[in-house]
Amino acid sequence: MIIKPDCQDIYYKDVKQKCLTSFLFCSILPKVIVMEKIVEQGLLYDFYGELLTEHQKKIYEDVVYNDLSLTEIAKENGISRQGVHDLVRRCNHILQEYEDKLHLIARFMKVKKNIGQLQELTNDTEISREELIQKVGNISRQILEEL
Amino acid sequence: MAVKIRLRRMGQKKAPFYRIVVADSRSPRDGRCIEEIGTYDPNTDPSTFNVNEELAKKWLANGAQPTEVVSKIFKQAGIEK
Repeated sequence: MIIKPDCQDIYYKDVKQKCLTSFLFCSILPKVIVMEKIVEQGLLYDFYGELLTEHQKKIYEDVVYNDLSLTEIAKENGISRQGVHDLVRRCNHILQEYEDKLHLIARFMKVKKNIGQLQELTNDTEISREELIQKVGNISRQILEEL
Repeated sequence: MAVKIRLRRMGQKKAPFYRIVVADSRSPRDGRCIEEIGTYDPNTDPSTFNVNEELAKKWLANGAQPTEVVSKIFKQAGIEK
């Protein structure tokens, strides 16, 4: 998932840290802004989780909603730790693939950012009417492009 | 023993919000937690967290095991064992 630095940060992380997103920025930036992995997985699951099977859903939910460790999940479900690990990896991959093809999260983030800008404008009392109209026009055009 | 400090996801779909909770690892799915010691909100820019330092230190000293994410948050909050 490509997260633009201005959309959603979490914090600066060392480039070498293994993460779904970091490789995208490795070549460009010395430091990258990466979403916390559990947050990213949670978002992917929110958007595309319904496309997983019941079993996958149950286990993935434990990872992203309850922050359980692989060992705990393995014990709960009576499968091996390795099995859980493989399943989670496979789910990550499946969900990421959906995002790469459909870009629902990227669009959601953009629209959310635009709406944030609109809300900022409503709080701005200094701004002149013409400027306001122009800015609102710009932002609504950007939102329309995403629909 | 076997007490863990982990995140628990609250909030709606597409608007994640987490509580940092202390919970028993032997019955991880039952939803009960021993104590709530903070929150973590990735929606804001930059993300914000809020940790009750006293409680966190108390639980760490008692041998509670933080998960990977939680220990990262603790590190940022400047809480060491």
